[in-house]
Amino acid sequence: MPMGHTTTAEAGSGGLTATEHRLANGLRVVLSEDHLTPVAAVCLWYDVGSRHEVKGRTGLAHLFEHLMFQGSGQVKGNGHFELVQGAGGSLNGTTSFERTNYFETMPAHQLELALWLEADRMGSLLAALDDESMENQRDVVKNERRQRYDNVPYGTAFEKLTALSYPEGHPYHHTPIGSMADLDAATLEDARQFFRTYYAPNNAVLSVVGDIDPQQTLAWIEKYFGSIPSHDGKPEPRDGSLPQTIGEQLREVVVEEVPARALMAAYRLPHDGTREADAADLALTVLGGGESSRLYNRLVRRDRTAVAAGFGLLRLAGAPSMGWLDVKTSGDVEVPVIEAAIDEELARFAAEGPTPEEMERAQAQLEREWLDRLGTVAGRADELCRYAVLFGDPQLALTAVKRVLEVTPAEVQEVAKARLRPDNRAVLVYEPKSPQDVEDADVPEDPEQEATVEAGNENEETAK
Amino acid sequence: MTQLATMDFHPQPRPGEAKPWAFPAPERGTLDNGLTVLRCHRPGQQVVAVEVLLDAPLDAEPAGLDGVATIMARAFSEGTDRHSAEEYAAELERAGATLDAHADHPGVRISLEVPASRLAKGLGLLADALRAPAFAESEVERLVRNRLDEIPHELANPSRRAGKELSKELFPATSRMSRPRQGTEETVEKIDAAAVRAFYDRHVRPATATLVVVGDLTGTDLDALLGDTLGAWTGTPGEPRPVPPVTADDTGRVVIVDRPGAVQTQLLIGRIGADRHDRVWPAQVLGTYCLGGTLTSRLDRVLREEKGYTYGVRAFGQVLRSAPDGTGAAMLAISGSVDTPNTGPALEDLWKVLRTLAAEGLTDAERDVAVQNLVGVAPLKYETAAAVAGTLADQVEQHLPDDFQATLYRQLAATGTVEATAAAVNAFPVDRLVTVLVGDASAIKAPVEALGIGEVTVVAAE
Repeated sequence: MPMGHTTTAEAGSGGLTATEHRLANGLRVVLSEDHLTPVAAVCLWYDVGSRHEVKGRTGLAHLFEHLMFQGSGQVKGNGHFELVQGAGGSLNGTTSFERTNYFETMPAHQLELALWLEADRMGSLLAALDDESMENQRDVVKNERRQRYDNVPYGTAFEKLTALSYPEGHPYHHTPIGSMADLDAATLEDARQFFRTYYAPNNAVLSVVGDIDPQQTLAWIEKYFGSIPSHDGKPEPRDGSLPQTIGEQLREVVVEEVPARALMAAYRLPHDGTREADAADLALTVLGGGESSRLYNRLVRRDRTAVAAGFGLLRLAGAPSMGWLDVKTSGDVEVPVIEAAIDEELARFAAEGPTPEEMERAQAQLEREWLDRLGTVAGRADELCRYAVLFGDPQLALTAVKRVLEVTPAEVQEVAKARLRPDNRAVLVYEPKSPQDVEDADVPEDPEQEATVEAGNENEETAK
Repeated sequence: MTQLATMDFHPQPRPGEAKPWAFPAPERGTLDNGLTVLRCHRPGQQVVAVEVLLDAPLDAEPAGLDGVATIMARAFSEGTDRHSAEEYAAELERAGATLDAHADHPGVRISLEVPASRLAKGLGLLADALRAPAFAESEVERLVRNRLDEIPHELANPSRRAGKELSKELFPATSRMSRPRQGTEETVEKIDAAAVRAFYDRHVRPATATLVVVGDLTGTDLDALLGDTLGAWTGTPGEPRPVPPVTADDTGRVVIVDRPGAVQTQLLIGRIGADRHDRVWPAQVLGTYCLGGTLTSRLDRVLREEKGYTYGVRAFGQVLRSAPDGTGAAMLAISGSVDTPNTGPALEDLWKVLRTLAAEGLTDAERDVAVQNLVGVAPLKYETAAAVAGTLADQVEQHLPDDFQATLYRQLAATGTVEATAAAVNAFPVDRLVTVLVGDASAIKAPVEALGIGEVTVVAAE
């Protein structure tokens, strides 16, 4: 084998270690060595996401993320992309509700370049930020929105469910992509102010994972980031707390040009970082994760009323998490038929809890997902940042799988009983409209006014 | 003026010394039943990736039964002689495994991923599926109905819809490649368990199949594991099927698939060209990257970073089917979405980029950056077992030697600017491109006609 420089580091969740450091300006640093492959991942999480945005400026955090790739003090134009790619690296940035991340995966001998680049834009972005890049990236982001959400069937479902589940005025009421009107309204001064408010070393966590020399890496980090001044004045995000359950069933029916009826729903679930969130993850996996789940067996295999049926979990730390149900109907099946079957399955699950076999399967699936996440240096770097930013302790990333395996069937049943109830969900129903039926359409959709949807919680910087 | 942070600036650092890395060389062998096995130990990769290639290509589907290979591929995980469909899915998930199967022009591919600690269980389930699939009537009937339900979803997706139209335009109507890989409503509804069984009996056997296993195999006696699992799969001897040549009509023309009211136009501009057997391949990879491999390539530099017409436009070459004698072909294409009002201007710029490339060629700087990226990212790209297994399986499927990828990296580094330019210009000649636009015909037809890039026809979206 051409590689394998050491036998100490294991890519499973078992043998991994991470060390923590803090620069005088407040930048938190997490390092993790793994010499199996000559690559190094750099990941930088800024503690700012769409939840920090204010009314009339939705989408600003993500638009700003694009501007971070438009040059900085010592980097011209598209230099961030050109230099990393020219060094044999890959890079991207994404924006979610709770954070913005930037990452580079580099051949190990090019690590210093990635650190230099990240430091340059953290310390001197405003030296390069101008109207031309603002206007250009505004158009790019609007096209991103069209491509990923507005021009695809059901593309705005996630946005609608989010708006239903998190009430008007709540920091998570809107999704990171923002509205067209707000994207149009954002100004260069908004972007500058955003940078001055949130892009500071004391509002970020930097992780470096892979084939690195920790002492040398830390010295480079001190050299490049150490002189960037810290600054305070970041406003606390608006309070995201909500009652444990919604208390009623919310509902929206959308008549659109979609290929089939769909039933979607968002359940309000425990905050990420709690044992209850892990229990909810297991409950959703038993009910709707994969092709041996209860809903798949019932709707797709036995009743044959659905083409696809599954649950996803959007873990959130600053607000209740969201359990997202997505069912596309088969043939001419009506939504109430599906809905009754789902209610029956959820009620049965709440009454009986998972079987031992279901627990074993759900835990095995989540364990493999963690092995996948931690099996690459980039995945590990991202998880270390996540736990450092959201929960104050990167080490929690390395023990996350253990916590999932410790959850008991009784805890899974308990969370299902408390949360997976009809009075704790927002339901979104899609009814197809053929183009000939326009005259009946009493709900004209105006994407400039309506909050529309997305299929994931993150916005990727590039179209891959 | 803006208030600038006062940080200390340092000059751009220089790289350290590159550490050696090479694309892994697999170990090749054959089981007693004729199954070819490639294995590759990747320390630290705790999720093992397994790929199976079956010599059951789409052109082997009986006339009128397009989609039978797809239904067979899906039916592999719907029960065996030991487990019902529900039990089989449950057993896979109990092992923390995922199993995906799909049918394409070169053959059927099955991908298993499973934690190394449960490899024995995963290989056992995979072997059961190949050796003794149940193909129960009710399960096949369900898969057929499910497939029929999927079709309208695919037609509603702009990029899938564009792909379907381009295949129909490029390839002769008699060629399987002109029709959807997974069949149409008309053909899929005719498929039943007997048809699936017949296709399996005719085309699935260990003697013409290959297994690829990649991951951390420390402490695993793979020979014993394989003997107990896939070694028990039996079948009659068989010869590899002959591979028909690929032909296409790339007369420059435009087809608009009409979607009234669409806010964007999906572009798919393509033709066919050289596959990996052709000596031009490394230069074609390099030239295509310079044209549209990333957001700093020529197309996005204009269409995205200067004009803001798009979130991203990419040029790529994707092997359709290869033959041992080199008569295979790759799809060479440019794809992306542009907003409806700027569809004409975006296409005009796109053609201008192609014409400028032909007139002036690539620069040495562009070529250098492309080589550094394409070669430099290899250790990142092949960090996971799944990535390595996928490439090894592709090589087998395309009748290439096991060291093809390793050799390709050396060839890329040795390819010059002139060769890369010539390959890119030959790959994307301005008058030999079939353009499919999925968008609002009433808004885009006139501006596209004005460009003179070929006759424009409009078809209904269905």
